Amino acid sequence: MSTTAVRTGTPPTARERLGDFGWGTVPYLMVIPGLAFVLGVLGYAVAGGFWLSLHETDMFLMKTYVGLQNYIAVFNDPRFQASLVRTIVFVIASIALGIAMSMMFALTLYHVGFGKRFFRGMSLVPYFVSGIAAAVMFRFVFTTSGGFVNYVLQQLGLHTPSWLGDPYLAFMVSVLANCWFMVPFATLILLGGLQTVDKEIYDAATIDGAGPVQTFFKITLPMIKPMMGVSLIWVSYISFSTFDIILALTAGGPQRATEVVSMYMYQLAFLQLDFGQGAVLMVVLLLFNTVLSLFYIYFFVLADKRTEKGN
Amino acid sequence: MAEGYVEYSGLKKNFGAVPILHGIDLKIDEGAFVVLVGPSGCGKSTLLRMTAGLESVTDGDIKIAGRLVNRVHASNRGIAMVFQSYALYPHMSVDENLAFSLKMRKTPLERIAEAIKGAAGILKLSPLLDRLPAQLSGGQRQRVAMGRALVREPAVFLFDEPLSNLDAKLRVEMRAEIKALHQRLATTTIYVTHDQIEAMTMADTVVVMHDGRIEQVGDPLAIYDRPENLFVADFLGSPAMNLLDGKVVATDYPDQPRAVEVAPGVLLPIPGGAAAEPGQSVVYGVRPEHVALVGEDAGEPVTMTLVEPAGWETHLHADLAGLSLRILSVERVGAKPGDRAGILIDPERVHLFDRATGRRL
Repeated sequence: MSTTAVRTGTPPTARERLGDFGWGTVPYLMVIPGLAFVLGVLGYAVAGGFWLSLHETDMFLMKTYVGLQNYIAVFNDPRFQASLVRTIVFVIASIALGIAMSMMFALTLYHVGFGKRFFRGMSLVPYFVSGIAAAVMFRFVFTTSGGFVNYVLQQLGLHTPSWLGDPYLAFMVSVLANCWFMVPFATLILLGGLQTVDKEIYDAATIDGAGPVQTFFKITLPMIKPMMGVSLIWVSYISFSTFDIILALTAGGPQRATEVVSMYMYQLAFLQLDFGQGAVLMVVLLLFNTVLSLFYIYFFVLADKRTEKGN
Repeated sequence: MAEGYVEYSGLKKNFGAVPILHGIDLKIDEGAFVVLVGPSGCGKSTLLRMTAGLESVTDGDIKIAGRLVNRVHASNRGIAMVFQSYALYPHMSVDENLAFSLKMRKTPLERIAEAIKGAAGILKLSPLLDRLPAQLSGGQRQRVAMGRALVREPAVFLFDEPLSNLDAKLRVEMRAEIKALHQRLATTTIYVTHDQIEAMTMADTVVVMHDGRIEQVGDPLAIYDRPENLFVADFLGSPAMNLLDGKVVATDYPDQPRAVEVAPGVLLPIPGGAAAEPGQSVVYGVRPEHVALVGEDAGEPVTMTLVEPAGWETHLHADLAGLSLRILSVERVGAKPGDRAGILIDPERVHLFDRATGRRL
């Protein structure tokens, strides 16, 4: 008689059986495999690279601990110093050109009415082409004799420069190829940002008398600041780490005009087999990317989150 | 004919091949508070946006203060608009939001400060000027949106469903606030809403729209008491008017020579002056509050099907010979579903519509 009062007809549900363990922990459990994979691969590579940078590797792959010697050697190496300056110029040029192009494309795609999906789809195509393939394409386009660009210039009766033979021009073509590769994704991010802006805000700006330029700089740009931050992270990261495009386009030449840090790293580690100094360059790239990303996150993404408080 | 302060003549709008407005003719007096009301898709917002200069004119004319504005830019029409989403600039503080339009016009800074001070005073925004929109409540944002309109000192205020994002209590408060503001400033106001309570309570003049046409224009109570057609009769009033299909018949009663038969053997009285001939198909309209509940033995017999006590009034649903009838009583009716009662209808409160044309008889 005493037991009948407690029994209910239904068996416990999964939720009840989980009890205190609870559904709150489930999302974390589900993140673990992905997190473990990323941390495993990335963590191993980073830790291994850092370890490598503190060691001297001889021709039998025996490693000796040398402290900061590799760092000292690299920072005193004029070739490294030149490649670092070159990389910074490359990144700044890529950001300026890449972000300007992405913003232009994003605004255009935002306003395209007819064939909207087609154009948005098409705009992503360069992103699906691998860096190597993109670079090979650019080689064809910019080859001195028989390249498309020089063909057009020739037909117009203009001077046909040696695009990939001239140090300055080769550097510019590398920046251009790099932008061609990374702009689509940045465009997509910015387009996403543009689409979050309430259309009534543009109506209000129209009534308030803001012209297209004022609307862009005073309304659109501040409102898509977080997305701008994300695309800046993307553009800077891709440009700092760019390797495949330069390898296939110029291989660092002519006269090292396009030898950026990642190219020199490849040179040191895999051609001169100086793994220790190569690893130092990896650490340098990692630090640059991390610091720059933190900077963007702080000034673009977090700064804007403050305005969203209370929403 | 006198000119209106805001005047539409033969105004048409197409989106592509789809006609949205079919030729609007309307004159709005200076200082009036006009509410455009209608179901969604009736073209009321389009009309407002065309007035603002946010939509182009397909055909016809818009005049504001005697000036043809068809091709005048939105910022030069002398209008200010309050949007449904408020459309505040989220990255600007309240005072920057208020100042934006004046800065765009290169107004001297001291004039801007003065205008902000004035608007903030009227709308009680002074303590909030440094805040960002995200740090404000819905009602405060609404007031900032109104302040932004106010500093422009417009000839016409345009409101596009400004209260629909607020909760019920705040909506009633803001309704009164907007009306009080209008009484104070007497600026011509065009206000769009789908909420008939807002239309009734706020307007000097209600414009009922439907399918891109104006159905009726007039004083809110006049429209309520004398809807010109079936659409207006059905749209205005909550709970909605009872509309019963029926046929005009002659009766034997000398004081009620004609009545409407809404179901076999169920005769309902009609106003003496109604232009309805026996045999004519009509729609018989009576508002729920004009149906009086009496004892079971008097009047037409009905059976209660649903009782909804609302505190200050009671909504009842009753079955009248198979027809559903809404009744509104200001008393606390003790009826239960299944109870039997009688109803009486004052013939002078009855609206008769021609069934074919929908027009009032």
